Amino acid sequence: MPGRLARWISAEPDWDAVFADQLPRVFNFFRYRFGNTADAEDLTARTFEKAWRARHRYRRDVAAFSTWLLSIARNVAADHVRARRPLVALEEASSVVAAGTPEDQAMKNSDGERLAALLQLMPERDRELLAMKYGAGMTNRAIAIATGLSESNVGTIVHRAVQTLRERW
Amino acid sequence: MDDSQFHSLRRDPSAAFAARLQASLRAREVSSAGRTFRHMRGFAIAAAIVAVVGGLLSVPSVRASAQSFLALFRVVNFVAVPVDENRLATLQEQNLDLPHLIGEQLQVLQDPGPPTGVASPEQAGDAAGFAVRVPAYIPTGAYLSAVQVTGTRHLQITPSADRLRQVMEALAISDLEIPQEIDGKLVDVRVSPVVMLRYDRSGAPAVQIVQTKSPAVSLPEGVDLRVLGEIGLRILGLPPVEAHEFAGTIDWQSTLIVPLPPTATSFKQVVINGNKGVAIERTLTGPNGSGTARGNMLLWSSDGMVFGIESTRASSNDVLQMAESLR
Repeated sequence: MPGRLARWISAEPDWDAVFADQLPRVFNFFRYRFGNTADAEDLTARTFEKAWRARHRYRRDVAAFSTWLLSIARNVAADHVRARRPLVALEEASSVVAAGTPEDQAMKNSDGERLAALLQLMPERDRELLAMKYGAGMTNRAIAIATGLSESNVGTIVHRAVQTLRERW
Repeated sequence: MDDSQFHSLRRDPSAAFAARLQASLRAREVSSAGRTFRHMRGFAIAAAIVAVVGGLLSVPSVRASAQSFLALFRVVNFVAVPVDENRLATLQEQNLDLPHLIGEQLQVLQDPGPPTGVASPEQAGDAAGFAVRVPAYIPTGAYLSAVQVTGTRHLQITPSADRLRQVMEALAISDLEIPQEIDGKLVDVRVSPVVMLRYDRSGAPAVQIVQTKSPAVSLPEGVDLRVLGEIGLRILGLPPVEAHEFAGTIDWQSTLIVPLPPTATSFKQVVINGNKGVAIERTLTGPNGSGTARGNMLLWSSDGMVFGIESTRASSNDVLQMAESLR
C-alpha cells in the first residue's frame, strides 16, 4: 500500500469537528432507544470515550466515521440493555400509556414524553431501528449497512413500527 | 400522529453536558499519552491539568503566601513517576479516573480552539506573545514542515473531598487523611498559547517541539498540599513508605509530576543547558496495532518557559541535541 494512502487511512479524524457533528446524532440515538436524558448523556459519554480509546482502530477506507461511531453506540446500547432490569422500563411505560385516553395523555404529556413511553413498549429491534432513523437521522440504506439487514427489510420493519406507534398514539 | 411527532423526541444535548464531555475527552487525550503527535499538542494542557489535580491526584503543594489569597504554582522541575496501570483501570471501571473527575469539576472559561497553522516560527511568536525558540541542530534529512499555534486556555477546577475519598476507598488507601480545606475551593489554571514546530523526514512526521509559558496554577490558600501530593503518589501506585518520603523531598511549588505512560520502557533525569528535565522512552504501536517503534519524549523548563520534544523517527541523542540547541 502506498505510504500516503496508508497514512490517509490511518489518519485520525478532526476530533473537534467530529464532536460537534456527531454528538447530537449519538445523543438522540440514545434518546430514542431509552427515552431518558440522563441515560442518553451517560451512554453518549461512554460512546465517545470508547471511540476515543479505539480511535487507532478506525479505518476510513472501511466505513464513514459516523457509521463507525454509531456501531460503537449500538454496542454501548446493547451492553446497557443487558445490564439493566428490563421490567422497570416496561412498567414505567405501561403506567404512562394506561393512565388515560390518548387525548388525556396529549394534555398531560408532551409529544416527546409520550413518544418515549410508547417506544419503550416496542420490541428491541424495532426500537433500535427507529432510534437509528429518527434519533440518529440515518437513511434506510445506512441502517441496512449498519445492521446487515436488507434495505427493503429495514423499510418494512420501520414502516410497521411506525404504524404501531400511530395506532397506540 | 403526524410525521413531525416522530421527531418530537429529538433535542440538542445541553451545552453543559457537551462542554463536560468535551473537557473529559480532552483530559483523556492528555492523560492517555498516546502514540501520535496529537498528544504533544496537548502537552501544555497536560502540564496544567496534571499540576492542577493537586486537589484530586498528585502534584503541587504550596504554602500560601501571607499576602495573597492564592498561591501560584509554576513549572520549573519535572519528576517522572511510574503509574500502576491496574490501579488506574480500577478507577476507570468506577468512573473515578482522572478524565471523569476533571470533567465533572471543570469549568472552561476560555477554550483555545483548534491549532492554527502559521507560516513561520516568527509569526507563531507574534501570535503567542513570546519569542519562539528554534533548534540550531536538526537531524539529517529533517525539515520544518508545520508551525501551529493554539490559543490561551483558562480553566477552573473545584476539588471535591468526597470524590477524592471515593478514589482512595476504591484503591484501599485508608491510612491518609484528606485535608477538608480543599473541598469546594477553586483552582484556577491558565495555559498560555502553545506553539508547535513539526519536523518531517521523508514525508512523515519525525520530531515535534512544543513550547509555552509555564502554566500558571492558582491554588487555594491554607491547604497543605504536600499531603495531597502524597495521596496522589499513592493513587499513582507508589508504595506507602516511598510515597511519604518522596512527598517530603519534592519542592511542590515548582515540580510537575509526569505520570509515565504504560508504554514507557525507560525514563531518566536529564540536564538541558543547566535545567533539569525528564527523558522518557516508550514503545509506539503502529496503526491498527501493527508493528512497533521506539519513541522519545523530553520535557524541561527554562526561563519561565516549558518545552517538550517528541520524536518517533529520531534517536534520543538527536532529540537531546535539538533540545540543547534551541535558541
